[in-house]
Amino acid sequence: MNARNLNQMVAVWVADGFRQIGQIRITQLDSGEFELRHVEDLGRMDLVNYEDPFDARHLSLTTVDGEFRPLKSAPNLRTGWRLLIRNIADLRAALDLFYPAMLGVWASHLRHELQPVSFRETLDRQTGMYAASKRLQEEEGQGLVANACSVENCTKRQLWKFAEDQTLRLMPADKCSAESKLLEGGIREIPLLCHEACNLLVAAARETVKKRERAASAGAAAAPTHGG
Amino acid sequence: MLSKPDSALIIVGHGSTVNQDSSAPTLEHVETLSRRGGFAEVVSAFWKEEPSLRQVLHMIDSDEVYVVPNFISEGYFTRTVIPRELGITGPVSEVSGKKLKYCEPVGNHVRMTELLLRRAAEVAPGVPPSETSLLIVGHGTNLNDNSALAAKREVDRIRETGIYAEVFNAYMEEAPLIAEWDTYTSQPNVVVVPFFIADGLHSFQDIPVLLGIEQEPGLAASQRQVFRQNPHPLRGRSLFFASSIGTEPLFADLILDQVAAFDAIHTAQ
Repeated sequence: MNARNLNQMVAVWVADGFRQIGQIRITQLDSGEFELRHVEDLGRMDLVNYEDPFDARHLSLTTVDGEFRPLKSAPNLRTGWRLLIRNIADLRAALDLFYPAMLGVWASHLRHELQPVSFRETLDRQTGMYAASKRLQEEEGQGLVANACSVENCTKRQLWKFAEDQTLRLMPADKCSAESKLLEGGIREIPLLCHEACNLLVAAARETVKKRERAASAGAAAAPTHGG
Repeated sequence: MLSKPDSALIIVGHGSTVNQDSSAPTLEHVETLSRRGGFAEVVSAFWKEEPSLRQVLHMIDSDEVYVVPNFISEGYFTRTVIPRELGITGPVSEVSGKKLKYCEPVGNHVRMTELLLRRAAEVAPGVPPSETSLLIVGHGTNLNDNSALAAKREVDRIRETGIYAEVFNAYMEEAPLIAEWDTYTSQPNVVVVPFFIADGLHSFQDIPVLLGIEQEPGLAASQRQVFRQNPHPLRGRSLFFASSIGTEPLFADLILDQVAAFDAIHTAQ
């Protein structure tokens, strides 16, 4: 792997018009500083100002209703704030808090260094309480992914397959594409790329398996016995 | 101050999908150490939150990366999960062209004893230790649970100092039980310090119920306006309940110490 300078890459992206990431719009001000705000707040004048990149940690922690956001790519980032950023290093720091690792994953994708891992491979390496997730069946698993990773729950693009020889057949094609979309006003997005299933999905796979197995053993217990 | 301008530091936490207080200390230490500027990059990584252990290396430019588990002890996570997820095979591992240096978990640090004593003194100001029972509480009976052993080690060390009239371990699920604290302590004052990384579900919500401070699990730490008021007059004693040891800001320094300790042991590599 050649030496990489992510700050420089981010500077080039922003200069080239890549000014939206997740639910955040990046604007470069005349002063050379940057401004971040929620895409739903583009025309608003009554926003609360913040000036420390680490404020991103608290702004991204809970929804506007105070609910914890364990998945940062869930489309429920709070509105009502404006974060002023002095330089590229601080821009990267703030965006790494809003969308952890997403700048770096995009950089790896552009450098052809991102290797998606199939869901089956992820499940197969689980141990401890998550080992049960290995028993996820293809049929139930495809439905689980289509629901859990839907655009209503997660704005990432799932680049991984279900298994080496099985695509995510219930997912819309654009949800599984790494392509940057061209938005209104000539702005390009930095897509949020998912190259491997997250722990939330592994935990949901475990639940799916456990639920099916509980139902099966309850069914077996309730079934009339033959003979006698 | 430790200066590694060409290296990255990853502080690894467990995280939670339900309780925002679980990752808070790890994120706090990342912020503290980022602002100090001793490393080219300081980032967190989590088992249950983002960035995940599978994502984190993508956000790092540096070729040399120190990995410090923000865990209370060696155990299933430090020995199985973190190495597996990061591709660590030994103290020094080559992963995706980077040199990963896997340090000891922060809870193993020799200064942990000093921090526990400090927290115990802070939570009960003006209360003479010679008339106080100190409880270091842990989880107990978990999968591959070395945290109970680590808590025992700390109790032994604190006992050796002779500062407190008596010092005990106590656990949620094994004897001596937290819930029976008044049966094995004898002093008028009882100080309880959770040997946990964060004020999460167990330490902040379950343990107060076991102690008898609260009747049912209350709000999460972050949802409260004020921390509980000490002391709690309970079962004929004055009970003082501290925040988890991992919320101590000095943990950031112990993380740096674990990096320095790694270098001291593995300088030839």
